[in-house]
Amino acid sequence: MVAGDIAEFALKAAARADYAEARFESASSNEFVLKNGVLEASETSETQGLCVRVLVRGAQGSAFTNRLDKPSVKAAVNRAVRMAGQCAKIVKEPVKLSDEQACKANYSVAQRIPLADVSSDVKIRELISIDKAMLATGVNLPARFLTLHDETREKYYVNSNGSSVHAKIPRVLFDYMLTASAEGRSVQRMFSFGASSGWEAFKKWDVAGKLAEEAVMLKKILSTAQPMPHGELDVVLSPELVGIASHESVGHPYEADRILGREAAQAGESFVVREMLGTKIGSDVVNVVDDPRLPGSYGYYLYDDEGVKANRRFLIKNGIITSFLQNRWSASHFGISSNGSARANNWDAEPIVRMANTYTMAGDYATEELFRDIKKGVYIKSYMEWNIDDKRFNQRYTGLEAYLIENGEVKHLVRNPVLEITTPVFWSSVDAVGKNVEYVAGNCGKGEPMQGIPVWFGGPHIRMRKIKFGEHV
Amino acid sequence: MITYAIKRAEKAGANDAVAHFSKENRSQIRFANNTMTTLQNWETEKLELFLSFNKRIVSTSLDVVTKKSVDAAVANLAKLAKSAKPKEDFGGIAAGPFKYGKIAGGYDKRILNADLADKVDASINSALKKSVKTAGVLYAGEESVELATSGGIHASDKGTSIELSLRAFCAKDESGHSVSCSRSMSDFHPEAAGQKAALLASLAKNPTEGSPGKYDVLFDPMAFADLTGLAASFASAFYVESGFSFLADKLGKPVASPAVSISDAGNMPGGYGTESFDDEGVPTQTTEIIKRGTLNTYLHNTSTARKYLVKTTANAGLLNPNPRNVVLQPGSRSKEDLISGIKSGLYITNVWYTRFQNYKTSDFSTIPRDAILVIKDGEFIGSIKNIRITENLESLLKKIIAVSNRPEWVHWWEVQTPVYLPYVFAEKVNITKSTM
Repeated sequence: MVAGDIAEFALKAAARADYAEARFESASSNEFVLKNGVLEASETSETQGLCVRVLVRGAQGSAFTNRLDKPSVKAAVNRAVRMAGQCAKIVKEPVKLSDEQACKANYSVAQRIPLADVSSDVKIRELISIDKAMLATGVNLPARFLTLHDETREKYYVNSNGSSVHAKIPRVLFDYMLTASAEGRSVQRMFSFGASSGWEAFKKWDVAGKLAEEAVMLKKILSTAQPMPHGELDVVLSPELVGIASHESVGHPYEADRILGREAAQAGESFVVREMLGTKIGSDVVNVVDDPRLPGSYGYYLYDDEGVKANRRFLIKNGIITSFLQNRWSASHFGISSNGSARANNWDAEPIVRMANTYTMAGDYATEELFRDIKKGVYIKSYMEWNIDDKRFNQRYTGLEAYLIENGEVKHLVRNPVLEITTPVFWSSVDAVGKNVEYVAGNCGKGEPMQGIPVWFGGPHIRMRKIKFGEHV
Repeated sequence: MITYAIKRAEKAGANDAVAHFSKENRSQIRFANNTMTTLQNWETEKLELFLSFNKRIVSTSLDVVTKKSVDAAVANLAKLAKSAKPKEDFGGIAAGPFKYGKIAGGYDKRILNADLADKVDASINSALKKSVKTAGVLYAGEESVELATSGGIHASDKGTSIELSLRAFCAKDESGHSVSCSRSMSDFHPEAAGQKAALLASLAKNPTEGSPGKYDVLFDPMAFADLTGLAASFASAFYVESGFSFLADKLGKPVASPAVSISDAGNMPGGYGTESFDDEGVPTQTTEIIKRGTLNTYLHNTSTARKYLVKTTANAGLLNPNPRNVVLQPGSRSKEDLISGIKSGLYITNVWYTRFQNYKTSDFSTIPRDAILVIKDGEFIGSIKNIRITENLESLLKKIIAVSNRPEWVHWWEVQTPVYLPYVFAEKVNITKSTM
């Protein structure tokens, strides 16, 4: 059977269920790992399989298989229906999905330089030249770990409401982890570039140039950074910091399945509750959205994995909590329509509420204007360790490249500023937002079993007032 | 098919070839708000091929396993190898054959016939005696693997497992979490997991804001499993070379207190991660990584072992050696005895979101979640919330004063390598919190 036929066949086989959907997914990928200048691994892989999800008298069953002959597909459907049927009597709260308009769509991401046309030779050469560019700086980099990954993923989705979606999305990801040493100390930097695109995205990133600059900066941090002052300071955060904060402390707590408790034993719940919709969480200048449709974005899609058309979701508008990320299950609880946030990372995973590209929207300040009236502050440009509690209330970012600001001027580097702060205070402290939004790629983890899913997070520079930097870090 | 794959690889010119075929049949029940949210089943198979052509390392994985797909994969890898550069320090794979002794306790057919919904119900009902809300997951199933290599190895293994993870809530900030993981039904205790999670939730009543400072801390096995597993993983020779480990250059040196001995016991009877052989077919063994506080060895496959002039520790991972069952050796005192000796301290029952600032120095922070109980003169006198452990892993391992005498298995969403460990008592643990 060809791909689309497998999904259609499974859907027909599940006709006795109250609701059914089938998603056939295939991906071909390549990965190259360069460790300390040596090509450690070259991998090329193929994966394909089927997810069948059914509702039977309020119980939800799913079966996943990569045996794709008709008897095996039929057996998978039967398992999903049987499991759901057997437990329908004991499910205390029936699973319901919101009513959605049936969608029919076929879309793909255009590639100016198709990934399939780029040879392994070229990819390996790129990695080696990046490594050489870093070494050419003369900085002592005892550990250099570079990974280049590309994949082309196709999905055929059908459901018993009449939706039918075919999508083909190529993605490129470059990850690195560098260790720099100087004067008996070391510092490490991890970062990712990612896009839904052909090879042209990689060429645009100029990774070799950026990593050479990074290496020089790491040495400068080791050699010249001065102790971080304590007390109350104004803060300017770069797009990198604003992006991770938008993702961790706005995107995640606004996932409706967390709010409803479905992820309580894994990724956790949320300090945000349904009644907080329409209430103030940040200052008037804070606007945060999630938009899967950003062209070229790493979290790009036009229809989610429940066949719902994706749109931009306003999470915070003028400081007010405006909406949550919803799939069809959570939307039915809220009595609304899904906003197309259901994603599965592969054929062997259920679609759950996920972010796509979460970012703080641009304001009207030029970046340099943000510094002008700061008497004493800190500018945090990049970070190392970060985390946030499972309610998404207490977050922490340890700065890597960070500078003291005095009387409107950016001065010397400071060592390891720690921003450890609650979410409402973070967003309420923002008094100015820059004009230029930048994005960072990441793989966000959630679900049971864990699903890492491609996302972007970003924002412009922001300014925060009167932030306490404690001595106890 | 794996023998066929090896022959095709050799014919294509591979110097080393490993074919690993796995089949899985696993079911899951997820639950939240005291009701089942979804039931899922995976019936899957996968072939992984690892080949070297004159030290050029290439690999692939396939979902569709036929002679045709294997032929295509081998041809692709041979082509890919032409682009690849040699990894000069690649030391090859193990030369077999080996004899594999039977390791007891890895397969229990009763798991495959168990009424999983009944087990979930039992655990929820047990928890609801002391709590009001539960969420969690149950997994059960079997996996079989077959391995063939150009080193003359042909081996197979199969195992079952069952695992329940349950979080119980009495109120929004009053929660507890517990797990039960086993390879056999006899050692699977879903009701006990529910009971412990609910007990912790009930003890966490009305938590107050925590304060930063240095605290003596008793870690529940759930709370220290992640850090123990990470410490063992950092012993991988691959991580050491990649800059991902604080254990680099510390062989034979103290990296923990004398109370700490950590081993990998891949061959442990009934061990949650036990397998008969590693990914290149070497019979699994028990390896002392940290012996009474001193770093004893790194974890190796055949290739990294040859580079370090030692024997493999049977921890392949063909690229990255990794542990299978991490064991923190128990001490002599009971958990109750440890608690009774604490004048002033905290009992931390779970952590999540551990992130490192620098793997070489091992500076990190992690966030306690669920019950954080305050201990005064050996008694629980209250609970706190909203704190963070901000530490250095090597320092923290050196701050361990004692470990209790009864280890437990921990494996759940946050702890992916199974860890068998007791309660851990450490002094002067650095606690931070949000400044505003």
